Order: sequence, then C-alpha cells, then structure tokens
Amino acid sequence: MTIGKRSSSVTLIGAVIVAAILSTTSAAFAQSATAADPTDAGKAVFKRANCFGCHKWHGNGGGGYGGDALSLRKTELSREQIIETVSCGRPGTGMPFFARGAYDTVKCFDMNRQEAGSNMPPEANTFLRPNDIEAVADYVIAHIKGKGEPNYAECVTFFGDNSRVCDVYKKAEGQPAAAPVATGAKPN
Amino acid sequence: MTHVKRQQLLRQASLLLLIGAGLGFAGAPSARAADQVTQDRLLNSDKEPGNWLHHHKNYSSTRFSTLKDINKDNVKNLKVVWTMHLAGVEGGGIWTHGGLEGTPIVENGFMYVTDGWGSVYKIDAHGGKGVLLWKMDPKTDHDWAGAVACCGVDNRGVALWGDLVISHTLDGRLVATNKETGQVAWQRQVADPDKGEVITGAPLIVKNMAITGVAGAEYGIRGWVAATDLSTQKEVWRTHTIPGKGEPGSDTWKDDKNSAASGGGSTWVTGSYDPATDTIIWGVGNPGPDWDNQYRPGDNLYTDSSLALDANTGKVKWHYQHTPNDPYDYDSVAENVLVDVPAPNGTSLKLALEADRNGFAYAIDRTTGKFMWGLPFVKKVTWTKGLDQETGKPIEYDASKQVQHYNPAVTPSRENKVADICPGNMGGKNWPPTAYNPELKLWYIPVIESCNRITVEESDPQKLKAREFWTGGGPSQPFKITGSVTAIDVTTGKVAGKFETPFPNLGGVLATPDLVFSGQPSGEVIALDGKTLEKKWEFNTGGGVNAPPMTFSVDGKQYLAILVGLGGAWDKWFIDATPELKRIQPGSMLYVFAL
Repeated sequence: MTIGKRSSSVTLIGAVIVAAILSTTSAAFAQSATAADPTDAGKAVFKRANCFGCHKWHGNGGGGYGGDALSLRKTELSREQIIETVSCGRPGTGMPFFARGAYDTVKCFDMNRQEAGSNMPPEANTFLRPNDIEAVADYVIAHIKGKGEPNYAECVTFFGDNSRVCDVYKKAEGQPAAAPVATGAKPN
Repeated sequence: MTHVKRQQLLRQASLLLLIGAGLGFAGAPSARAADQVTQDRLLNSDKEPGNWLHHHKNYSSTRFSTLKDINKDNVKNLKVVWTMHLAGVEGGGIWTHGGLEGTPIVENGFMYVTDGWGSVYKIDAHGGKGVLLWKMDPKTDHDWAGAVACCGVDNRGVALWGDLVISHTLDGRLVATNKETGQVAWQRQVADPDKGEVITGAPLIVKNMAITGVAGAEYGIRGWVAATDLSTQKEVWRTHTIPGKGEPGSDTWKDDKNSAASGGGSTWVTGSYDPATDTIIWGVGNPGPDWDNQYRPGDNLYTDSSLALDANTGKVKWHYQHTPNDPYDYDSVAENVLVDVPAPNGTSLKLALEADRNGFAYAIDRTTGKFMWGLPFVKKVTWTKGLDQETGKPIEYDASKQVQHYNPAVTPSRENKVADICPGNMGGKNWPPTAYNPELKLWYIPVIESCNRITVEESDPQKLKAREFWTGGGPSQPFKITGSVTAIDVTTGKVAGKFETPFPNLGGVLATPDLVFSGQPSGEVIALDGKTLEKKWEFNTGGGVNAPPMTFSVDGKQYLAILVGLGGAWDKWFIDATPELKRIQPGSMLYVFAL
C-alpha cells in the first residue's frame, strides 16, 4: 500500500476518536473555562516532532540556515496530501519522512529506498504513528493553512503566556507589550 | 520593620553568611582581597600562570598557557580526574536542545562555567575534585531567545571583575553575580530579542567596563558593540557596526531600500584589547541578507571586518574589511590575536591575526589597520584566486562595481542561484578560537575543511520582519566536511603544518609550551605535538566536543578542562555533511584531566 492513499473515511473516524479521547482527557485537566481545542493533540505533535524547528510556530517557514521550509499557511495541499508529505517527506528536499517503514515496508510516491536513490528524503528524528500524523495534519488545517499574517492571539495559543516570545506581535498590533521583567535591583 | 533595621539585619546576615562560608571551606582559600579582580590583574593575567582570567586567557587572545607539567613526554598518562554534569540541555524556540561552547574561567582554584542557557556554575577545584558551590540560573526566556538564535542555544562563558562574575544570557542580558554567594547583584538588558538580537559571547572586561557583542545578522539586525560601566551599570558607549546616515562608511550601502538598517554585522565572538594604544579590536560578522548581495550594493562596511575601537569612546580608529559585499556568509567575527613579531633593525611588527571564515588567515598592522600578509589556511578555496599582495583584497575585487561576483562561476547571485562554495558558509574557521605559541611563533587554527551549496532567494523588502530569518537563501550539504588543526608560522606567514581530522573542528584549540590541545565533535579530546602536530594523546568523552580546552593549576597541580555537549549550528543545520555525527547525543558535561 502507498501511504497517502488510505481511505479518508477510516482516517476521519480515527481522528474523531483521537480528538474525542484527547478532548476528554485535556478537559479533565483544563484549568481554564474554555473548551479544549480538538486539535491540541496535533499541536503537541507539531511541537514533539519539531515541525516548528523549520516551519516555525506560525508555519510560515522561510529561508534560513536550513534552507527554505515551505509555508504551511500558504500551502494548497489537501489533508490527504499533508498526511502523505509528513509520512513520506519530500524527495529531494530536507523535509524528512515521519512514518516508520516509509520507502521500506511501505512505498512512498510509488518508490522504495532504491528507487528514490539520491532523492531519498532524510529520516525524521521522531517517528509518528498514523493517528499522530493525522492529528498534526488536522492541526495544520485548522490553525495554520490559509491564515494570514501571524498574530498575538495565535502566538500565545501556541506558546502560552510564560514567555515574551509573542510580545513583538502585541507591539505590532498597537497593544502595550507586557511590562518588562524587573531587572533585579541590588539586594538590600 | 523599618528600612534601617532591615538593612542592619541583612548586613548582619551577610556577615554571618561570609563567616559561614569561610568556615565551610576551611583549608581552601575563601574570600579575600586578593580575589578581587582588578584591571591590574586583568592586564597582567599571564603573570598568574595557574589562573585563566580572560575568555581568551589574556587581552591578546593567545590562549597560550605557560604551564608545562603536562608535556609531550608525559601527556600519554593524562587521565580523567573528575567530571561534572551540568544542565541546560533543554530546548526552546526553534531548538530541540542546548549545547556547550564555553571556556571555563579559573581563579585561585575556583572555576566558573556556563551552560547554553546561561546558568553560571561555581566549582571548587581544590583537592583533585570538583565540588559545585553554587549555580546561578538567570531564568532565560527560552522561547523568546531560542526562536531567534540562528545557531544554537549557546553561551561561551563568563568574565570576572571585582567580586562579581559577569555573564550574558541568550535573551540579551548582562548579569553580575556575587562571586561568593551566587546571588545576582544586578542585571541589565543590553540586547533586544524583539529585534532578533541575542547574546552568545562572553563579556570582555576593559577597565571598569563590560564589552558586549550581539548576534542576529540572519534576522535583519543592525549590529553593535556596547560598553557597560560596571560601577554605575549604565551604558558608556554603543558603536554600531553599520554606520548611520552621513557617518564615515555609510556610502558603502548604495541602495535606495535602506538596506543598511537591517544590514547585519554581528559581533558575537569576544574581542581583544591592546592596552598600549587603549584599543579594543573586535570582529564583525556577515551582512544581511546573507546570500543576496545584489540587495545591498556597495562594500557594506563594517561587515566582514576587523574593527579597532577607542576603548573610552567606542569610536572607530580603523577597520580592515576582508570580503567586501559578501555573497557567501563569510563572517569576520573571529577573535583577533595580538602578536608582536621581531622585524629588521630591532623593531617589532605589532600584528592582529585573524583566521577568517573566507578561508584566509590575515595579519594586519594593529596600529594602522594596514594589511601585512594573508594566506589560505584551508585545503580548498574556490571563491577567489587569492589575495592582492598589496591590499589583501580578493584579486577579483573591483572597487568600481557595486555588486561583487569574485569568481562568478562559483559565486551565489541572482544570476547563479545554486552555487557550490569552498569554504562552505560555516567558513574555514568559525567561532572556535585559535591559539598562539609565542615561543614557537606558531599560530594554531581550528579548521573546517569544507564546501557547501548555496541557493539564493531574491530578497523582498516586504518580507523583512522582526524576528524572521533574513538570509536571501540558504545552504545545503551535498559534500562531506572534515577538519584540521593548521599551524601558521607568523614569522614567515606560511603554513607550518596541518593535522587532518575526520570531522570539522568545532571546539577550538589551546597551546602550551610544547603541546596543542583540541577536540572533535565525534567525542575525542586530543593533544598534538606543538611543533610537528603529531598526535600524542587522545581520550573519547563519549559526547561531542563543541568547546575549547583550557588549562589551570591548583595546589601546584596542572589540570586540563573542557566542556562537552554538541549543540550549536552544526547539529541542526550542517549535520548532513557529517552523517556519522547524527548518533552523537545531546549532553552537558565538564571533563577535567590530570596526570
């Protein structure tokens, strides 16, 4: 079987079940009154699998020391295609494959390792289970794909509010940034 | 409680603490006047052979120690005597983990080291063992800083002044910590991560000032060097490495898009100081966007330059630029090693030596900024045929052109969007420091023998945003990269030897009278014969060496110390050029060796 051609109904059911389980568990631990986001599991995968290491938290990717990670905000890939790309990587680029057995026990883009040759994408540092890959695709579609410029609210949703990482968006949006942390006065 | 009473109580409490500390370390030297680090001691740091008071050992940045109990005859018996696990391996921002790039500082048997997130550790190294006395965790804002640290979660170490330990944090602070208690005395925000500025270098102390450099040329910053008065905690001067409008050099930015405002010019490696002329000499990094030099026509001063600054005012005394209108990311952030070499008629040449990322080693007259000699120190240079013997500029440099193409066949440009360059963009030598043996007149360079591939992306001013990459393309790694320790005879300006290594040198070197110490990212710490570069000793730490070795003595015994923990840029961006290093695990550990 080629990953990426699996039945969408099966994956959809999987995603719903995962989302349901996760929303139940996270609701149990949620400290705020807001309902848990069903794509939180996907956000966790986005962090755990280090997607943000190249695509950045906002998904815009961009040039840099590691070459050019494509923008997930501007992507036209469908959910199925995102799942395929995460599973199989992008041959000839730095986008790694995250599915165990890709190009070995399971062909990718109709290729095995030998057929991919020098176009073989790198192996990810973390392998993801199929339901994790679906979850991260759902997260990308719900929170990143098609979005405009990244904003403060999105940033805080990603990082939480313990860091000043989002202040730059707050400034840009004309809101006062959080007060700077006191620069430790002398004791006594 | 009244304020006065509280003050009295606090004072009594501090006194008790001090007494307690003294009792606690009976037998070991505790706080005393001699432990105050003064400008006099910093000027004469080499007269304290057992200590290592400056980041680069002394103001001349030679990283040469006269200690020779460990020498080429007995180095084969060098063994680990103690180790210490440090913290700071956690990730943040775009980074999955931190690494160790610091040089330990040692004063009177007490060692000060940092981890990648800027925690400072004070270790008692008396008695052949290491005891952690305190750890100061500056609570660095991981995501704020880590999201705009181009090249790793790094901190290269501390400096000492008075009774304070002076350090930086990745999120832009200068922190002063009480040497005895480990309590933060004060701190000051020097760099602004909201602009893409972070700090990875160790401070340089000159007189009563801490000199700070900044990183961020991949994020559209305008670089600077800043001096903070350690007594008043106020800024004394801040010199931008890219001149403001109307200042000398501003006409080397010839576009109409205000490219200078985001033109890079970072200063993230600790500089040197020449007390004879009261001059700070500091290296300046690449222009931004890194690989689209057509975006920023002109020579782009003072990027890729060595900069001489008046220590009191920060005013530029002279500059020497290595790669005008750089299309390769060939920083000149490297340390300048200040060396006096005998010349005819009993005179001496006062040189500043710099091993540039562009693959050439330069000797500049440090009183005038004039080029003396230069030569390639890497095995392969393709971007230029060589240096002009008079000016030291690349032969193809054409002052009448606004955009330089050097050897156009291999130079990245809008017309040549995929180009293979040698050295690769990490350079022939990156931040890992050189060392100079004044007895042998040999200068040892930690080399990355490399080529890599640059893909140019035309920069769009609309895409210039705070905290986003501003690189005009990016590198990839289709070629295997190795390394070497290369020795240059500074009396002749010729390569005197090369010890080749399977991996790039990512840690730097230390010189002693007859040895050179270094490491490999595959884990080995090595000792080479100072003259022949023959390997005399090796120990595999089991981690990746990404930091410079140093040596010190306490209670009359010589030790070798090195931090081990592969992080930095290599691990994330360049690892495909050294696939074997993918198996090196993140770590954070101090190794100390002795006979």
